[in-house]
Amino acid sequence: MNNRIKKALSLVASLKVAIALLLLITIYIIIGTLIPQHATQALYQSNYPTLAPIIDALSLDAAYSSPLFISLVILFIINLTSCTLLSLPSQLRRSRSIYMPPFKAESEYRVEEEDEKMVKSYLKRKHYRIDTDEGGFSSGKFRWGALGATVTHIGLIVIFIGAVVGNIASDQEMISLLPGSTREFEEYGFSIHLDDFYLTFEESGAVKQYISDMTITNDDGTTHRQSMWVNNPLHHNGLGFYQANFGWTSDLLIRQAETGESLVSGLIRNGNTYFYQPHHLNIMLYGYFPNMDIDVNQMPYSINNREDNPFYAVVLTQFGVNVGSYIIEPGQVIPYEDIAITFTGSTPYTGIVVRSDPSYPIVVAGFIILTFGMFMSFYLYPRFLFYTNGKLYAESGKNGWVFYQAIKSGITAQRKTGKQ
Amino acid sequence: MYQSIENTTFMIAIVLYIASAVLSLLSVTGIVKKGGKVATSLALAGFITHTAAMVARTIGAGRLPFSNQYEFALSFSWGIVLSYLVLYRLYGFSAIGAFVMPLAILVMGYASLQSRDVRPLMPALQSYWLTFHVGTAILSYGAFALAAGISVIYLIDEKKKGSQRLVQDPEVSDMLSYRVIAFGILMLTIVIISGAIWAQKAWSRYWAWDPKETWSLITWIIYAIYLHLRLRRNWKGRAAAWFSIFGFISVLFTFVGVNILLPSLHSYAT
Repeated sequence: MNNRIKKALSLVASLKVAIALLLLITIYIIIGTLIPQHATQALYQSNYPTLAPIIDALSLDAAYSSPLFISLVILFIINLTSCTLLSLPSQLRRSRSIYMPPFKAESEYRVEEEDEKMVKSYLKRKHYRIDTDEGGFSSGKFRWGALGATVTHIGLIVIFIGAVVGNIASDQEMISLLPGSTREFEEYGFSIHLDDFYLTFEESGAVKQYISDMTITNDDGTTHRQSMWVNNPLHHNGLGFYQANFGWTSDLLIRQAETGESLVSGLIRNGNTYFYQPHHLNIMLYGYFPNMDIDVNQMPYSINNREDNPFYAVVLTQFGVNVGSYIIEPGQVIPYEDIAITFTGSTPYTGIVVRSDPSYPIVVAGFIILTFGMFMSFYLYPRFLFYTNGKLYAESGKNGWVFYQAIKSGITAQRKTGKQ
Repeated sequence: MYQSIENTTFMIAIVLYIASAVLSLLSVTGIVKKGGKVATSLALAGFITHTAAMVARTIGAGRLPFSNQYEFALSFSWGIVLSYLVLYRLYGFSAIGAFVMPLAILVMGYASLQSRDVRPLMPALQSYWLTFHVGTAILSYGAFALAAGISVIYLIDEKKKGSQRLVQDPEVSDMLSYRVIAFGILMLTIVIISGAIWAQKAWSRYWAWDPKETWSLITWIIYAIYLHLRLRRNWKGRAAAWFSIFGFISVLFTFVGVNILLPSLHSYAT
């Protein structure tokens, strides 16, 4: 191979480059945690007038999807892959069952023990393979632990591949359903029907759980029922359904005041407005407060979501002019000219994240490989022993001292018990 | 009743830890001769009462004490003392207590400032992953605290000679610090992974760049750089010791700083 190519390759795979990239990535990530993400330009202009141009130029408002960050991560993965491939032959050589490192007679990691038979007995008990030669014997185990770093790196690369696949192939939408409503997922060959959605409460009134009871109907007509809640998603035909949030839908009823004849009946959510055309009247449901109280600013708020003290805050406007603000109980009437406006009750709707993500199994595989690789590196590292002239030498590279301590205490214990 | 047992044992544990730390410091500064063993016994006694406080909390709350800042600080300091006692049992270095016990006291002090109200778990926390995720975090953070304490010993010892040293051979404290960090980063990896798997179940995404998870990743990268510099560049001694202390500052920021300064999905951990 051309020398220049070799030099370029070793630079790409070098630890120096890896550390430099990791430091840059870390700095970038830290900045990303300090600057609010996905905010408006106006906010950056007002909060960080000096830094706003830099935030804009480096896309720090969307730090983790910015071209600069993605480039740094890709460069790091190239470095990691090259380093892993280049070091693989030597690691494979060291992981072979016949490999022994050079013997260092000057090593301090040695135990004085004349009784060779006892030492052999101890090592056999610890599952060391012993190779006897003229001057004594040598022994080793966990040689394959030399591949720990490679396995760890492969784990990281697999996680990266998973993240890329996730970015390209995952799809997500947020849906909200009222009990009794159905949503089709034609592409996936099924529909879901929300049979019921309800909240359970702690004694304090805090929400204990949000529960959606679903019926899933496949295109072939088969059905099954399943409940989902936070931490218990529903999976079907490659789609995941996750309990994400909830809200209230309130029943608005407008009647003829004199006759009681129903003019309008419909559902309205908090913050939404219904336009009653005959009177040019905007009926805004400022909010439904299931357990209402009044705060220090004389504004209504809900203590919790248990319907212990339900009230509606309603604002009426006509041609942009406020014509009345009311706080009413369910069923209480707001009289306006010849009509009567009431809110008869409220029903919670469920907010569900629907997500397909083919990358997740890849990422989990990466997690497992990464963890196993680290465990190999730290605890299944290669261990070698040389016995000569009544001395047992422990050799285990960077873990030498710890290995030596274990061997020393093991041999001492064996000596005390007198086992052979 | 459990609340009062918890409060009493918590206070006794702090007093015993302070006594252990003071005696340990007097011992390493040479003011008290051979106080190391007694200091470790005091730490062990404190650890037993600390464990009693956690058991009382567990029974009182009906779950492990893993779900808010008070409970995590209680468990984190428990993890620090546990790491120290395990290391003492393995290698017999009592001097480490002089630098690790103050960290445990600091975290206990932080716990004492937090609300001790027992609140029911919010829906997102009602998962068996909570025990695994936070349990490994306690071991990981405890190990990093211990490694930082050992690194301080290294920095003191490298300027001294022979019998003046707290641990006779600075190479040993250097090696121990590395081994403890190796355990800590393995646990931290499991913390991040279990958090990701849990997030996938609870929030539909295994990674969302939430400040808490992002700072865990930053801490992970810092210690990963430490390990690579050490293993591949033979980077040890003073620089490695400072790096270990710097890494623990990142751990503390992940634990406390993120909760105070950065809005997070982990906001329930306040």
